[in-house]
Amino acid sequence: MSVQGVAQAQNVRKLDYQKLLAPAVLVVMYAFFAIFGNNFFSSYTLKTILESAYYTGLMSFGITFVIITGGIDLSIGTNMMCSAIIGGVAFSMWGWPLWLALCLVPLVGVMFGVLNGILVAKAKLPPFIATLGMMLVTQGFGSIVSRVQTQRYPTIGTENEWFKTVFYRTGNFPTGALYLLTAFLIAAFVLNKTRFGRYVYAIGSNEEATRLSGVKVDKFKILAYAVCGLFAGIGGILYAATYTTAIPGTGNGLETYAIAAVIIGGTSMAGGSGTMVGTLIGIFIMAVLKAGLASLGLQAHWQTFFTGIVVIGAVLMDNVRVRAAQKVKVKT
Amino acid sequence: MKRLLALVLVLTLALGVTAALAQEKMYISVISKGEQHAFWQAVRMGCEDAANELGVDMFYYGPPSEADIVLQVEALKAEMAKNPAALALAALSTDAVMTELQEAIEKGIPVIGFDSGVPNAPEGAIYATASTNNQNAAALAAEKLLEDEGLKAKLTAATPEAPVVVAVLSQDATSESVTGRTTGFVNKFVELAGEYGVVEVQGHTSWAMAAEKPAIILHVEIGASPRIDDMTNAANAVLNKNNLAAIFCSNEGAVAGMLAATADGSEFGEGGRFNGILVAGFDAGAPQKNAVKNGWFVGSVTQDPYRIGYLAVELAVKAANGEAVEDVDTGAQWYTKDNIDEPNIALLVYD
Amino acid sequence: MSQQNEVLVRMTGIHKYFPGVHALNDVQFELRAGEVHALVGENGAGKSTLMKVLTGIYEKDAGEIEVMGKPVEIRSTKDAQNLGISIVHQELNLLKDLTVAENVYIGRENMNGFLLDKKAQNKRAQEFLDRLNLNIKATQNVGRMTVAKQQMVEIAKALSYENTRILILDEPTAPLSDVEIDELFRFVRDMRSRGVGIIYISHRMGELKQISDRITVMRDGQYVDTVDTATTPIDEIIRMMVGRVIYEQPKTESHVATGAPVVLEVKNLRSRDVRDVSFQLKKGEILGLAGLVGAGRTEVGRLISGADKRDGGEIYVNGKLADIQSPCDAVELGIGYLSEDRRRYGLCLGLSVANNIALTKLDSFTQGIAVNDRQIKSTAREYREKMDIRTPSVDTLVRSLSGGNQQKVVVSKWLVRNCDVLIFDEPTRGIDVGAKSEIYKLMHSLIEEGKSIIMISSEMPELLRMADRILVMCEGEKTGELGIEEATQEKIMALAAPQV
Repeated sequence: MSVQGVAQAQNVRKLDYQKLLAPAVLVVMYAFFAIFGNNFFSSYTLKTILESAYYTGLMSFGITFVIITGGIDLSIGTNMMCSAIIGGVAFSMWGWPLWLALCLVPLVGVMFGVLNGILVAKAKLPPFIATLGMMLVTQGFGSIVSRVQTQRYPTIGTENEWFKTVFYRTGNFPTGALYLLTAFLIAAFVLNKTRFGRYVYAIGSNEEATRLSGVKVDKFKILAYAVCGLFAGIGGILYAATYTTAIPGTGNGLETYAIAAVIIGGTSMAGGSGTMVGTLIGIFIMAVLKAGLASLGLQAHWQTFFTGIVVIGAVLMDNVRVRAAQKVKVKT
Repeated sequence: MKRLLALVLVLTLALGVTAALAQEKMYISVISKGEQHAFWQAVRMGCEDAANELGVDMFYYGPPSEADIVLQVEALKAEMAKNPAALALAALSTDAVMTELQEAIEKGIPVIGFDSGVPNAPEGAIYATASTNNQNAAALAAEKLLEDEGLKAKLTAATPEAPVVVAVLSQDATSESVTGRTTGFVNKFVELAGEYGVVEVQGHTSWAMAAEKPAIILHVEIGASPRIDDMTNAANAVLNKNNLAAIFCSNEGAVAGMLAATADGSEFGEGGRFNGILVAGFDAGAPQKNAVKNGWFVGSVTQDPYRIGYLAVELAVKAANGEAVEDVDTGAQWYTKDNIDEPNIALLVYD
Repeated sequence: MSQQNEVLVRMTGIHKYFPGVHALNDVQFELRAGEVHALVGENGAGKSTLMKVLTGIYEKDAGEIEVMGKPVEIRSTKDAQNLGISIVHQELNLLKDLTVAENVYIGRENMNGFLLDKKAQNKRAQEFLDRLNLNIKATQNVGRMTVAKQQMVEIAKALSYENTRILILDEPTAPLSDVEIDELFRFVRDMRSRGVGIIYISHRMGELKQISDRITVMRDGQYVDTVDTATTPIDEIIRMMVGRVIYEQPKTESHVATGAPVVLEVKNLRSRDVRDVSFQLKKGEILGLAGLVGAGRTEVGRLISGADKRDGGEIYVNGKLADIQSPCDAVELGIGYLSEDRRRYGLCLGLSVANNIALTKLDSFTQGIAVNDRQIKSTAREYREKMDIRTPSVDTLVRSLSGGNQQKVVVSKWLVRNCDVLIFDEPTRGIDVGAKSEIYKLMHSLIEEGKSIIMISSEMPELLRMADRILVMCEGEKTGELGIEEATQEKIMALAAPQV
């Protein structure tokens, strides 16, 4: 290695600083709102932040896989809602026991995920188009199955109260956070430690090279979308636990928050790079921002506005990061 | 030429038959927006009772869901062919029934709107509408909240240094029903609370009213979007206010957000973090009924679907008889954990 | 060469520092009108940096630049363009969906008020192309043209700036076949005779002899010497570049053991670009695949490795009929394909060296459901050692390695998989001289291990040096097979050139 190796080493160190940027932003934001927000620095607000992250978090973990393969899934929001609606229909209209209806919810999510995967990997549709179509399909399917009736899950103080205690909150303990954490650990393990996870990165980095290396790329792409759908489906249970009602014809728009969290967490839309920890941090940046802006007493539409600014900022940051990464060159 | 003759003959015959029937008993058609929903069942019951009492023949139709525009239009066409004396209509889509409305004008059939009525109908088609006056209904919530002794005491004790906050949570600032409710509540509250101290209205600019040294603050919070996650966030923003004494949620969506933010409302209950804050809701639905039943909400306002149905038919009959008719307020009911199971209320509050 | 004395560019005492690196250390360079001046050196020697200083991409930290006798400061590419300096990069910068005319005049379109005047522009472009004696239609879509033609368009674009007198060509022949190279050289000589000064960057020593008038050698950011091409032997230049003499002699006889078994046999291979190609590959053999660009050699490689679907033909591996439908099938059978386009088909640039190496055989690095990273890394380190991959660590992203080292990563990838048949497609393309000989050495050691190699190359000296047998293709057909004893450049050319 020649003298230029020194420059390279410096660049590498610079990159490491950039990795710390997102966590730093999270801490700074939290501190900012703790100082200036009304009642922000409290365990109650912390709980609120956690709770608003449950279902978005699940969606974000799932779509991280798809985005790293270089794809996108616009249908997660409506898929999640559709899964929740169908679970509600099974429970209230078909008379299934609640536990069985809840088992159905992730299955619906996986089904639509697999369909997305087949459309992308086998039919070679651009992911944007395939999943945009699936967004409408899932939205419509939920309405058809429910006959456009709002589905309501059991609330606290009713017969099936256990639904809320198991998936949402027990007394003051946020049980939902356990699912978020478990889902995170599983997603991180799968992405970092399994063969599938490694192929996800490889496909995103260079799909053709991966295929030529003898990897069954199609199979793993379908799997990525299926995993994404599974997480959206589980998110559907947590959504139902958080909001009780699942309304047909809604759900679109929720994917934007999930995708934004992934991008803020440093996953590149171009594919090939990203981490689950980043996504987790992205989710909490979004959640803290939401709760924090509300605690400043800003009117709601200002919150939407600032959320957008943060997303754009994150993508700009990502660009800088990518450019820095490409400058690193080992000369020998 | 022969065919035309035959046609004229058949038409005359048909007209003659219906005219003969009408002499016997007046025929009224009611086309509603739904049938399965408890709300619509109450409407139907009101219609039927009115028809019996007024001695008219009534046909009631409701499509299976509020998305079945086509079915509603077809039912309407079939009814128009029967030349009813009058028609009561809650249109799913005004655009879809435009032809029929024109036909009604041409034939001189009076149309009475009910519930959400027939917004933007052509001039002269709608004689009158029987619907809930949203402003009055929301004012009822303000009255009921201010009957609470605890709240009265808090308002009396309020000072400009430590103002008491009362909040309205609304889903949007654009739809007619929700803005009407928000305005109704704000006006009534300002009027009634004025007795206890200076009131200032804060929050959304459409309703804000500044006052000097206010001791009572009425905060109007509108969600960033009607989506439930945004409504929950707005509810959290409301709950975050210092010295919060009471909350009014102006429709089911606002209630859903509030419930999601407070563990189905249980946090307003005994030992909950927000125990002591009075909450009034609007409309019904299982989760809201649950919150009212458990006493977590002091009560909620509900429309009176039975009276909507009853008054719709009454107006239709009057119009068919050539009497002058005008819009009527079908009123609203206040339900609490004490009267929610009484039959006349239970009929009104759907699951 | 009447204008030979006019100096177009004189760079003296150029210094350029990057953080921690003295990238250019007192470098000098001179270009005269009507000369082709080659700039050579191994990767990292500073050629590119020097050219970037000249074209305004980098600003120098010290030193003087004179253009046509006047001292100048070049701070942007715009400045360089205004001074008549144009560069044609190794990576083509053409917009593939646009026509030749649109590419050449991009940003300077013929306008008719607010509207584009396509007709006038096409006419202007065609006249210009004709003037350059280029057999190219101005209205053709660039994406549909061969790489060679695209290269010419790129050069034409550079020359289309009226004042261009200084033209920098960075590795222009890398993607070209010999015939095309001749075509390019005719063009370059034509430019030279018109008084254009050409700076020519290349790794191919043979070419320099043919085309250049003078050669400037750089090494490790420093100026070594400038010599007249005619009077300096190639060995001497290479010695200046690398500081050592590289052995380069053609093979004279096949090294394949008599009676070596056939490991791969192809019968009547057919696809859109390949017509009934049949051949055998013996154990321990290097089979050269010669031909012009577009002769179907790469396609043969891709068909055998399952990258593309074949329309017909049989493939036998170790005597058994193999059903190869996908790369996955080929890999199972021990066939590895090393593409000429490493970045596109060979590597996941965004992944680490270790992960790239493990990619072909990840299942064997998996225990239970978890990937064993420690094993992957130790294997990668083993190969770093064995293949002499120069990388700070096996966790380094492949993107940041040099071309030669990237190539070694690709090879390692297939060795990990224990492939017995390796198809090398242009293995030394874009690699500097030193690294090239390492790749050759590597191929020899693979043969010694009992592997067999199909080597696709457009560089005939390379084939003559490496192959035991040479198969020549032309327009999708196999036109001949030459034992190494009988093979000469002339014979290969005769078989490779289309019969008109």
